Amino acid sequence: MPPRPRRPRPLSVVGTSPPRLEGAAKVAGTARYVDDLEFPGLLLGRTIRSTVPRGELLGWSMGRRPRGLHVVSAADIPGRNAIALLEPDQPCLVRREIRHAAEPVLLLAHEDRDALASVAVELRERPRKAQLDVRASRSFCKEILIEKGNLSRGFARADRIVEGEYTTGHQEQLYVETQGVIAVPEKDGVTIYGSLQCPYYVQKALVELLSLPPERVRIIQVETGGGFGGKEEYPSMIAGHAALLALKSGRPVKLVYDRSEDMLATTKRHPSIVRHKTGVRRDGSLTAMQIDVLLDAGAYVTLSPVVLSRGVLHAAGPYRCEDVQILGRAAMTNTPPNGAFRGFGAPQTQFAVEVHMERIAEALGIDPLELRRRNALRPGDTTATGQRLGADCSALPCLESAVRRSRFVARRRAIEKHNAKARVSGGPLRGIGLALFFHGSGFTGAGEVKLASRAALELTPTGARILVASTEIGQGTRTILSQIVAEELGWPLSRIEVADPDTREVPDSGPTVASRTCMIVGEILRRCAQSLKRALGRMTPRQYLAKNGPLVVTEQYDRPKSMHWDDVHYRGDAYGAYGYGCDVIELEIDPVTAEVRPAEVTAVQDIGRAIHPVLAAGQIEGGTAQGIAFALAEEVVMRDGRMANAQLTNYAVPTPLDTPPMQVEILEFPYGHGPFGAKGVGEMPIDGPSPAVVNALRHAGLDIRDIPAVPERIAGLVDSMRGAAT
Amino acid sequence: MKRFEFVEASSLAQAAKLAAQPNGAVRAGGIDLMDLQKEHLAEPDRVISIRRVPGAAEIREEGGALVIGPLVTLAQLASHPVALAKWKAVAVAAGEAASPQVRNQATVIGNLLQRPRCWYFRNELLQCARKGGPDCLSQEGENRYHAIFENKDCAIVHASNVSPAAMLFDGSVKTVKADGSRREIPLAKLFVKPEVDITKEHVLEAGEVVEALVLPAKAGGDHSSFLAAREKSAFDWPLFSLAVRLEMSGNVVKAAQIVFGAAAPTPLRREKAEAALVGKAIDEATARAAAALCFEDATPMTQNGYKVAMGTALTARAILAAV
Repeated sequence: MPPRPRRPRPLSVVGTSPPRLEGAAKVAGTARYVDDLEFPGLLLGRTIRSTVPRGELLGWSMGRRPRGLHVVSAADIPGRNAIALLEPDQPCLVRREIRHAAEPVLLLAHEDRDALASVAVELRERPRKAQLDVRASRSFCKEILIEKGNLSRGFARADRIVEGEYTTGHQEQLYVETQGVIAVPEKDGVTIYGSLQCPYYVQKALVELLSLPPERVRIIQVETGGGFGGKEEYPSMIAGHAALLALKSGRPVKLVYDRSEDMLATTKRHPSIVRHKTGVRRDGSLTAMQIDVLLDAGAYVTLSPVVLSRGVLHAAGPYRCEDVQILGRAAMTNTPPNGAFRGFGAPQTQFAVEVHMERIAEALGIDPLELRRRNALRPGDTTATGQRLGADCSALPCLESAVRRSRFVARRRAIEKHNAKARVSGGPLRGIGLALFFHGSGFTGAGEVKLASRAALELTPTGARILVASTEIGQGTRTILSQIVAEELGWPLSRIEVADPDTREVPDSGPTVASRTCMIVGEILRRCAQSLKRALGRMTPRQYLAKNGPLVVTEQYDRPKSMHWDDVHYRGDAYGAYGYGCDVIELEIDPVTAEVRPAEVTAVQDIGRAIHPVLAAGQIEGGTAQGIAFALAEEVVMRDGRMANAQLTNYAVPTPLDTPPMQVEILEFPYGHGPFGAKGVGEMPIDGPSPAVVNALRHAGLDIRDIPAVPERIAGLVDSMRGAAT
Repeated sequence: MKRFEFVEASSLAQAAKLAAQPNGAVRAGGIDLMDLQKEHLAEPDRVISIRRVPGAAEIREEGGALVIGPLVTLAQLASHPVALAKWKAVAVAAGEAASPQVRNQATVIGNLLQRPRCWYFRNELLQCARKGGPDCLSQEGENRYHAIFENKDCAIVHASNVSPAAMLFDGSVKTVKADGSRREIPLAKLFVKPEVDITKEHVLEAGEVVEALVLPAKAGGDHSSFLAAREKSAFDWPLFSLAVRLEMSGNVVKAAQIVFGAAAPTPLRREKAEAALVGKAIDEATARAAAALCFEDATPMTQNGYKVAMGTALTARAILAAV
């Protein structure tokens, strides 16, 4: 029997759903975003970009220059011409070598928008042959090998071997607010106001670029209209550009992309090609999994090595298998670099494994539900890296709950009957699909130890003020962190304030990524609250401040003692905790027009503890909608290394009408080292929908292995299906 | 977006006069104009708003015809009870356009006159034939959303939902020109095929302002239908659309009209199929046969062959729905 969720002590703030702290300002339109900010003497910036996917920059010429125009080229960079992240390979501005289309070459600034737009710049580019095919690329920025047990032994024990190849395309994050920053020159440095996820990443990049000490590079996050990973690394680029213009002109510079520039130039989800070769016994048990993961990194390294890492660590899905080999490679091409996007490699690899599981069931002639039941990870099992899972491993409970709630078995039977008739009448077909998945919270392996994140609480006369670099990007950071602190202190929520993320004011609590804000930073803050409570004793904050003066308590990430990770051999405890989830999706398919309409969705996800159930359910609904669109609608059309449909009229993101009713259930299998048991919730919801959709299409008779399965692609299959039937 | 002067006209004649001066643009709902300005495809120095023109937001019945003023929104038309009863396809088409927010702002006339959504046309960096460049870039390029008829010179699809439906009723527009003269142009003559003039979609002159869309009453107005297939359920232009009107005598078709929307650069009558329906009772087989006739002369491009299958199915369904 799987363990039942434990009910810890009753809580009064955590587990409730108060209005989000910045919600009223956003609804009333008083929240101020970058483009709302004005500074005296403000200039507007513009970026001139390469037009060829690969080549050499020979020079440039400019038509009439309006008075007051400022121009910045690579020669104006005081420090190193690179965006400091994992590798220093990506220049801030092209000096000579062009590696992708829309690569920044020159920066212009002027106070008048029309004058700025009127400047005609001609780049002299000598094109060279570009590598646009990831399969043909032999240049890898990262290779990772995971080995467990003995693969040949595993295959020898198999009754059947099932192979398959699955591919996924680019996906645009499509935050509502496009990328934007303002750089303000200071007496001895620069201040950046930006729409961003990770203030300290931007600081690190600018320190190198501008050759300034960190204390002279101040980064302030302003209200941010969504990120989804897209504002993890790119803000370092655009902030670098604005800062260079500001330092050269001596005036504040605003650089805000329009939608088209944002889609053309910034990072997207890595396209993937994943191959599976799996040994299975007749009863369905997996004896060997050989998985090959290839990601298209694009033209520069950016975060690809870590995206690949998360990708391979999730490539075997939430399944038990003793003999596993996973080989991951991230290959370079001459397309704009791909980067962080909600899920970070895991949606791609779990799409492959979950669609492959369906093929295995088919090959064996057994029920795909039974196949998953047999192989789902249980407490005490080990993952591909040998991580032994604790009592919070909830793959089976998620599966069973989703099957029950969606009436999966009965619906499947009813749909098969319906389809038998519809195939004769030509009416709409239906399909139901299921996907089981998991998602590790926080940085991989030793990543959290290296980050050594810090968080602080400052005592105020009426309560406490949270000091963290974790940003609110629409997901509810401010509210849930306040809830955690209030709960620990036993105070009402109204006594907690949150400082704006400003590198001059808040400690480096790490980036706002990887589903780590609640679980990792929330726990550090909970410990801060514990210390604060101890320090206060029986005194009120006002009494304490009167007697002892100001008080700030700071805590640092503390690795759970039992956690070990070998980064060289990819062995050990890859993540502190895993959330689990199971999605069931029912589709209606018009066999003639090839329109696919998601009809019903059941999403059951274990997130340890819902600090704010409404926000958590919102994350699940939003991620699920984004995941369905990843499977069915969102297609980045690349032509000559450049996005051909960088417009919202041609890049289809779902509207509310395209989003089906969703039944969300949150399970709580608490994690001992998360605040009040919480694991991450931000990314996991996007792992399940795409395989569930494709499995539902398969159930209706459509053999899809590549997404997005846009109508044109489905139309071809419908024809071939009809051809086969007649 | 380029800076511009904003003027409010007190009458349509005044608007026409002002708009005829170099680089003026008339603004009603402003939806497409704003898009064009943002994309640098229209850079007017002066924008003349007609928002304050009295009576321009009215829908009237005049001598049996429906008269739709230049400020009537798509939402207004979509929920107009008389339109829904007698000019059903038109009201349905208006309600299927864009999103609820846009329908509350966008005008019916603006919907008729909006510029194409071709991604080469809308990309300010590209010079396609419609913008004076040498070639239609979709011919060799990405053409999944493009025309499957009359697509040799320029493969845009007509963007309006309302116009194919309005053509079922032999609709026309009444206009006023800069010199104060007025004329009435049947919709069948309003739209310009690329082979005639590749740079424009309609025959209106600079400064010519539409005063009204006039839809005469027609038998079978209640037997009319509009259908569209889109990638998204809202906030999207059709991949294919059509309108159908049937005049029935008992269960036999007396007269039929079929007009395709997003299939060719201009709305496309399908006379052959219309004739084939006359004298027949509508059932699945006649609907399918007529639908197949509609696509005999289709010339799909490299990526949009799916539209033929999709269009054939939608056409049959629209015919069945119009009964």
